[in-house]
Amino acid sequence: MMPVSGRRAAALFIILAAACRMRGADIPALLAERVRSVVAVEYFTETESERRTTVAYGTVIDDRGTIILPPGAIDGHVPPAQLKDFKVFVPGDPSNGAGTYLGQDAYTGWHFVRADEKIRERLVPVTRFAAARHAPVPVLGDEVWGIGLRPLEEDFMPYYLGSHLALVQSLPQLTGEAQQEVAGPGLPVFNRDGVLVGLGLNSGGQPYVLYSQANRGGAPVYLVDVEESSLFLLAGEVLPYLNRIPGRVDGRPLAWLGADGLAPMDRDVADFLKLGGHSGAVVSEVLEGSPAERAGMKDHDIIIAIDGSPLPVFRPTRYVTEYVDREVERRRPGDVMTLTVLRGSERLTLMATLGDQPTLIREAKRKYFDRIGFTAREFVYGDAVDRRTRVVNSAGVIVHYVKPNTPASIAGLEPDDWIKDIDGVAVRSFADAVDKLSAIEFDPLRSEFVLLVSRGGDTAVLHVKLK
Amino acid sequence: MGRGFNQLLDSVVRIDVREVDYDGGARRFQASIGSGVLLSSDGLVLTNAHVASPRAVEITITLASLERVGARLVGWDHWTDLALLRLDMGEVRRRRLKLTHGEFGDSDRLFPGETVYAVGTPFGLTRTVTRGIISNSNRYFEDDNGVNGYETGAFNTWLQTDAAINPGNSGGPLVTEDGRIVGITSRGYLGANNLGFAIPANVAKGIVAGLVQTGTITRSYVGIVPKALQDFEGFYALALDTGMLIDSVDPGSPAARAGLLGGDVLLAINGRKVDGRFPEQLPPIQNLIASQPVGSVLVLTLKRGTRVSDASVVTERLESSMGEESVLDAWGLSVRKVSRTFARENQLPDDTGVLVIGIHPGFPADAAGIQAGDLVTKINEKPLTSIDVVNQAQAAYAAKPGPTLLETVRDRRVSLYILKP
Repeated sequence: MMPVSGRRAAALFIILAAACRMRGADIPALLAERVRSVVAVEYFTETESERRTTVAYGTVIDDRGTIILPPGAIDGHVPPAQLKDFKVFVPGDPSNGAGTYLGQDAYTGWHFVRADEKIRERLVPVTRFAAARHAPVPVLGDEVWGIGLRPLEEDFMPYYLGSHLALVQSLPQLTGEAQQEVAGPGLPVFNRDGVLVGLGLNSGGQPYVLYSQANRGGAPVYLVDVEESSLFLLAGEVLPYLNRIPGRVDGRPLAWLGADGLAPMDRDVADFLKLGGHSGAVVSEVLEGSPAERAGMKDHDIIIAIDGSPLPVFRPTRYVTEYVDREVERRRPGDVMTLTVLRGSERLTLMATLGDQPTLIREAKRKYFDRIGFTAREFVYGDAVDRRTRVVNSAGVIVHYVKPNTPASIAGLEPDDWIKDIDGVAVRSFADAVDKLSAIEFDPLRSEFVLLVSRGGDTAVLHVKLK
Repeated sequence: MGRGFNQLLDSVVRIDVREVDYDGGARRFQASIGSGVLLSSDGLVLTNAHVASPRAVEITITLASLERVGARLVGWDHWTDLALLRLDMGEVRRRRLKLTHGEFGDSDRLFPGETVYAVGTPFGLTRTVTRGIISNSNRYFEDDNGVNGYETGAFNTWLQTDAAINPGNSGGPLVTEDGRIVGITSRGYLGANNLGFAIPANVAKGIVAGLVQTGTITRSYVGIVPKALQDFEGFYALALDTGMLIDSVDPGSPAARAGLLGGDVLLAINGRKVDGRFPEQLPPIQNLIASQPVGSVLVLTLKRGTRVSDASVVTERLESSMGEESVLDAWGLSVRKVSRTFARENQLPDDTGVLVIGIHPGFPADAAGIQAGDLVTKINEKPLTSIDVVNQAQAAYAAKPGPTLLETVRDRRVSLYILKP
């Protein structure tokens, strides 16, 4: 490299510094405009025993007050009926408006919430700050910035976060990593001109070694920043999917393949199987009655291509399983998916017509019995899979919750117990169990009853004393 | 103290054991100390199964005369926590060592409050005598991995004593004032004050006889998990002191094949009425089944709802959930064979495979990402039906190292790994 003369370097430096100062001056204005696309959302999760508050950050995506929250903002196992009192806060303002939960989109994982009229007019969709055609792809070293929000006690006061792009990876979506924290998780990321370039993700764990006089270091601990993140999805992974607003709160229709327990095939294994350079996902189990089973897939098949396209190679290789899952979630029930699988030395092409996801645990019917002290839940497909039993033989109900110090808990009933018999009579269905348990619950003369439960393949006879 | 007691003191020995430890993915040895009692002039020593097991590679006995003699394992029985050793009699004769042996008493005649003495080697303090009483002569205690990972206690009750029992007392005798052996000290509650437990002599007598004869104790298995009927009599419309509740029936067991279900009440075995009202009454009933020859036909009288009926079951051999262990040094992997019992308890489809119990850091298995708790089901596409298959695969690798494909299951997720030099 040629040495640069001192004087010339100094001149360059002065010009650059002047340019920066001039452009830096507009950051407050850019932030003031863009903060209107940012909200905080508070909601309660109401269960038999508690009411828990959660606060998440969201980004406004349209003129109807629709807000997207990141996948982790709401536990996907909680029935939507237990999610209550959504409130939408505008940053820096103690007042708030009501929100309505619209459901989760399986493909993006986003939760959708809609703000009420009162607050809607104060919001601006983030799409207004997106490039007219193609979202600009930031290059390494580009300045990127975003917004963080202080906690509720500080009225979610917005603040500036800025950094530079350090790395772009496929995880499996194109993900930017900035040098430092660049936005609150779920909040937009902009380039120097204020154009949308991405959406903040949950922060990845950073390994640190704890070191002190007494503790000479050791295995690293992972610290996760829950308020700010340096990771963001590039805008090209966000903008095309903003229209995936669920039509129903349960997020249906949900496409289903039924190839369970996907595990990545690592590079050494690919070489060993003479698939050098290929990516693959091992299917642990093909579920009973699933589209995968009907397509002729077998346990331990290795998926190597979808619709003729080889699975991409990811670093680390484990992202290939998420890639396959997303390929299913992206589609709709009834769509045909062509899967190329490796079985031993054979290479097979399977045509799977995706089905409807069987009833999920969060959709199962449930009923709480206060005197006995537990919640019975409908036995659904996933319960049969978990218990390695055939779906067709699966009568009975599942214990969803046991309240401490109630007859049920004293008798030794545990969550996830599978109730097979009540008073020596087999339970036929959820409705049957509810009838039997209600009769016991509301019979003041009833002093005891007996349950037969299945637990990890064994059974246990439990004696529930009501007095 | 009388002559009998002094003779007993002369029959108590210290046992130093060096045993192989498979846990770390490499062959390691560890030493431990226990106690024992000489039972015969031909050198039989009784101790605990958790003192001397088939993992022992070197056993040294210190006699009352402080002379040290080698010994070998005759056999062990983890269910009762007993092991039988034999002194190197050639050496005993060559060195003209004098042996004194103890005599069993009748443990059924013990009563709570009776004075007993524990003799042994607590913390290596050879020939320590402590005194206490029988606190309870019929204690129910069962543990699924109480003897170095093996099951114990399902077929006998225990003596409880307040005589001080410390680590190293294990395998020593519990004796009455006349020096008769009424129990073999086995375990105590850590952190508790003087809660010690011993195997009753009347149980030990039978085990010793069996181990002398064949080196092993074979038991019958039908696959029922019992539960005390206590409080359930009203629900099942039974007279008091009648029947034993079946809490669970092991899938695939003889009882399951005969159609037994959890919630059935067992009224009689081969016409002999059973009474399992209290937990203390369960071990004798279990032992009644276990003591039948393997392959016996048992007629079980059962009550289900209001109906009473008989079911015939053919007993199988009782198997521990702990399978054979091996160290695969070239891979830095220690494994345990999946037994039928382990497969059933963990809801595995069959007993194919070995469980990874230890990893040697930096060796091929560790480098590939295999972890303790993984189940290895195939090596180079070959199902692991026995520990020999695994050992052979490793030997082939050691002779000519090259990439080797392992299929593993963890939490039902199948993964593939390559072991490479």
